[in-house]
Amino acid sequence: MATPVLELRDVTKSYPGHPPVHALQGVNLAIELGELVAVVGPSGSGKSTMLNMMGALDRPTHGDVVVEGQALTSLSDRRVSSLRGRRIGFVFQQFHLIGGISAAENVATGLIYQGVAGRRRRRLAVEMLERVGLAERADHRPNQLSGGERQRVAIARALLGDPAIVLADEPTGNLDSATSDEIVGLLHELHGQGSSIVVITHDRELAASLPRTVSLLDGRVESDR
Amino acid sequence: MKRRNQLSRLRPVDVAAVGTLGLRARKARTVLTALGIAIGIAAMISVLGITSSSDAQLQAELDALGPNLLEVTPGESLTGDEVVFPAESTEMIERIGPVDAASSVAPAGTTVRRTEFIPAGQTSGIAVLTSELDLVPMIDGTVAQGAFLDDSSSALPNVVLGAVAAERLGIHTVDNSPQVYLSNTYFTVVGILDPIPLAPNIDRAALIGQPIAELLYEVEEQPSRVYVRTHPDVPDDEALFDDVRAIVAATVRPQGPSEVSVSRPSDLLAARESTEAAFTGLLLGLGAVALLVGGVGIANVMVISVLERRTEIGVRRALGATKRHIRLQFVVESAMLAALGGLAGVGIGAAITAGYANSQDWVVSVPVSALALGVGAALLIGALAGLYPAARAARLDPAEAVRPGG
Repeated sequence: MATPVLELRDVTKSYPGHPPVHALQGVNLAIELGELVAVVGPSGSGKSTMLNMMGALDRPTHGDVVVEGQALTSLSDRRVSSLRGRRIGFVFQQFHLIGGISAAENVATGLIYQGVAGRRRRRLAVEMLERVGLAERADHRPNQLSGGERQRVAIARALLGDPAIVLADEPTGNLDSATSDEIVGLLHELHGQGSSIVVITHDRELAASLPRTVSLLDGRVESDR
Repeated sequence: MKRRNQLSRLRPVDVAAVGTLGLRARKARTVLTALGIAIGIAAMISVLGITSSSDAQLQAELDALGPNLLEVTPGESLTGDEVVFPAESTEMIERIGPVDAASSVAPAGTTVRRTEFIPAGQTSGIAVLTSELDLVPMIDGTVAQGAFLDDSSSALPNVVLGAVAAERLGIHTVDNSPQVYLSNTYFTVVGILDPIPLAPNIDRAALIGQPIAELLYEVEEQPSRVYVRTHPDVPDDEALFDDVRAIVAATVRPQGPSEVSVSRPSDLLAARESTEAAFTGLLLGLGAVALLVGGVGIANVMVISVLERRTEIGVRRALGATKRHIRLQFVVESAMLAALGGLAGVGIGAAITAGYANSQDWVVSVPVSALALGVGAALLIGALAGLYPAARAARLDPAEAVRPGG
């Protein structure tokens, strides 16, 4: 069996306080290459914490996060940041595009930290915008784009550099239903092209439309099918 | 899977691009924040520039006047007797080798008043002196109106007023042959002098000829002040110059050369100007305070900017930026902000200097080192001001920063 692209091994995350909050309790999960997985659960079930663990944005209290066979626990900030930038793509509910720079520059931001020269960055970013159907918006600023367009730019940004896995946190949470359908369609299309994608959502209907659904409740995996 | 082990890196050209992003996106704030630094730098540059222009001007003036003028006056006698110079002082001094010329003035033994109806005590601090006829060129003086005393006019009741004396007597023109009252006789004002930087005593004097003074006041000529021009090369040779001073003193008072004061008016002038240096220091200090306040302003704005740009920081961290990259971005932004202010300040400071120097008819002199120092200081202050905000930005928890609504 091939190495999973992303693996959570007995991951526990507690936040200090009175009493301490145990957001994740001994979660085991493996995402295989090319999977499209939904992570669902009511608020407070640990979805966001799980995203932070999978994206190496935060470190677990116990257990290991393994990306393409490499455990992150023992890595320095510099190594974790590098791995995050190169192997993991993020799509946020509120898009989180950087204001004041064009769509193409936003898409290419990750490449800046890989030392890629400006001209090449621009070419790769425009190519990626073409893939999400926004090539003609390359020079628009985020505030000149609609919500759906912004999320497409964010998806293009996440996909640039061919990451092992794309983590999408409520990607349709801020969009109307028609635009949501478009974005979900785009995710399916990218999945069809071979990308591994994890969608975190509280939308059961959206979750049901994806090939695999992981349900969280009170920091534990309730079901996985 | 080689790529996985590659580390994040940021090319210098991208450091500059990322570090100026915030400045380009918020132009009004950039200008207002940079203004504080600009004012501080402008203040310091203009103080330095104006001081430097004033020094250059003074040097030019001193060079023009010539540092080869000596002023010989009676000093303190050991026994407390009055020190008097012999009437032939001028001729004797002119016989000294390195001396080109000499000219003297002597007390005329009288006072000057506007009219006889003014009480005798009210002399307005004006001394009446007898003057040799070659006095004015000797001390680099010029005649503002009329003419100086000559062979014929010095034998008659004619007077030439120094600039301050004329002002105090209320005489501004010689056109109508104004008259002033010396003891017993009205004298005609035949000339008024321009202010003479090297001889302020002459500014406050009324000068009359020796023949008329002897005739009317029966004074014996006893020079109270001798102006001596040495050969122009003499001041360049310190030892020779000191020798000349000693010989001049011994010549006019062989029995006690130490009782003669031989000073150089240009030294006094230079000393007077240098007391203004203390004032310059104070102004520079004020400029430095303005600069410091500008730096604190930048730190303040950068802290706010970091708070506002939490999500941008989180996104950059998610896209591969290390803590170091984030810190670098904000330090560079802060330094650029200050450097912008520094450049503007240097420009404004240089313009103020040029404007002021022109208005004073001075030589414009802005030291290039001050300009470089101004931008450099701004850059340094900006980088220092950025350290704390940048550290806060780098410490930001990326998970926290990208959280929805956060």
